[in-house]
Amino acid sequence: MTQVTENLASGTVSDPDMTVVLARDLTKRFDDMVAVAGISFIVSRGECVGLLGPNGAGKTTTMRMLMGLSHVSAGTLELFGEPVATLRRDHASRIGLVPQDDNLDPDITVQQNLELYGHYFGVAAHTRAARVPELLEFMQLEERAEARVNELSGGMKRRLVIARSLIADPELVVLDEPTTGLDPQARVLIWKQLLELKRQGRTLLLTTHYMDEAQRLCDRIIIVDAGEILAEGAPQTLIDQYVLGHVFEVPKPLPDTWDHEAFDHEDIGDAVLIYVEQVADFVDRIPAATHYLHRQANLEDVFLRLTGRALREN
Amino acid sequence: MSRYTLAVVYRHYLVWRSLMWSSLASNVVNPVLFLFAFGFGLGAFVKSIDGMEYLSFIVPGMAAYAAMFAASFETTIGAYSRYAMQRTWDAILATPVSLPELLFGEVLFAALKGLFSACWVVIVGAAWGGVESLTGALLAIVLVFVASVGFAAYGLLATSMARGYEFFSYFFTFWLTPMFVFSGVFFDVGRFPDAVQWFAWILPMTHLIEVARPLMVGLPIEWDTAVLHIGYGIALTALAFWLALRNMRKRMFD
Repeated sequence: MTQVTENLASGTVSDPDMTVVLARDLTKRFDDMVAVAGISFIVSRGECVGLLGPNGAGKTTTMRMLMGLSHVSAGTLELFGEPVATLRRDHASRIGLVPQDDNLDPDITVQQNLELYGHYFGVAAHTRAARVPELLEFMQLEERAEARVNELSGGMKRRLVIARSLIADPELVVLDEPTTGLDPQARVLIWKQLLELKRQGRTLLLTTHYMDEAQRLCDRIIIVDAGEILAEGAPQTLIDQYVLGHVFEVPKPLPDTWDHEAFDHEDIGDAVLIYVEQVADFVDRIPAATHYLHRQANLEDVFLRLTGRALREN
Repeated sequence: MSRYTLAVVYRHYLVWRSLMWSSLASNVVNPVLFLFAFGFGLGAFVKSIDGMEYLSFIVPGMAAYAAMFAASFETTIGAYSRYAMQRTWDAILATPVSLPELLFGEVLFAALKGLFSACWVVIVGAAWGGVESLTGALLAIVLVFVASVGFAAYGLLATSMARGYEFFSYFFTFWLTPMFVFSGVFFDVGRFPDAVQWFAWILPMTHLIEVARPLMVGLPIEWDTAVLHIGYGIALTALAFWLALRNMRKRMFD
């Protein structure tokens, strides 16, 4: 966050031809609450950016504003160098959205769903005729082309929603929790195809609750909570910055002779987490016979450390 | 009309086609049953009314009612399901289709359903000898379509205010049912006491039937009053659509 905000503040905004999304002090207020509290970020062409945050952090609201589905209360939000309020039709024709809830048409077939979306985008008939089979193949749905959507499994529906978002060959694909609730096989296929989209030069903006997914797909991660950006950077940079390299979990009661305060640590109730760069930094300084758990630090550690461990229930 | 609105109408047509039989039951069989019940049942006692054969009298009323019911249902229960349950509106608005185009597509398709339903009543009524003027019937059908755009818009206005399906029981009780009983489907509005007549003339369906009936029965039309009836319906339609759009924009985007 710091880097981008500084850049924005000093006016050294990156090349407008390369900037797909630019948010500056973006704010969304509902009657009785602030959903997005003045966030600033940039998404550049060809990048995959992950917007992570607990439920209610403001991720979906940010995406809805981007799609023109929710009005901006204050601040700036630009797409392809134009404010979102203007040229909505032009913006919409260049973005594909994969919403959190499947809003497919359940009573018509898989193929009809794709064709219909082509109509909404004003895609020419011959282009539709060529693209629909391509997309069915891309998401491995060829066999189910004639099936009604309400006969599909959850994983197939999700794949169809992704295929549908690509019908107008979008430059930017916005994915709101693309693999939530899917089995590992379906997730692997979706990841593979999302990486393929990135390889084709498309820009991806996604939210997810799966840190492995974010780590695998995203060039850059933005962690938001309570409508504010807490941290931003490449996955490995965030890990190095916030949780060093290794995590040791030492259950309570802690050894008497050992001073955990000397480490970068976090009290999580029935245990203490110690963050160190090198394994030796910890192992050499813990009394022998102390019981502990060790793992390589990952994005999940960053996320929990920044957003806290209390349950979010709204 | 934009191709984006047509895309919405096309979507509704595709879904309608895949669920056609249940739709035909409520929009064709239902009004035709009413027509038979009243035509045969009541028609056996009431041979003529205001100098018209009772069957000829009731066919235009039933056609208007069929259109009103089909169009209203489509933009209330149907549209609300697409908006709040299936989230079809969200899916459509994530594309270049705008909210006015989407809502206009809803209204247009609902009006086409109203037209379709009314046509069946007129066809069955004509086959049964209850349509005196075919030219008049064709003109009346055009008016039914225009009025159906209105019926659809009033329903959409209700949808824009609904927080759940329960809300529509008010719409049916205080809007649909009064039109069914007070708008002159079964007997002339002039037979009501003055206060009730006042109320009846607020209802847009009263104005539709007032013009459609003499057309179908083949009676002379006073065009200067007909224009007032039609103008009232169109003005009310525009107002309802504008309010529905305003409510929906606030509700979806703010």
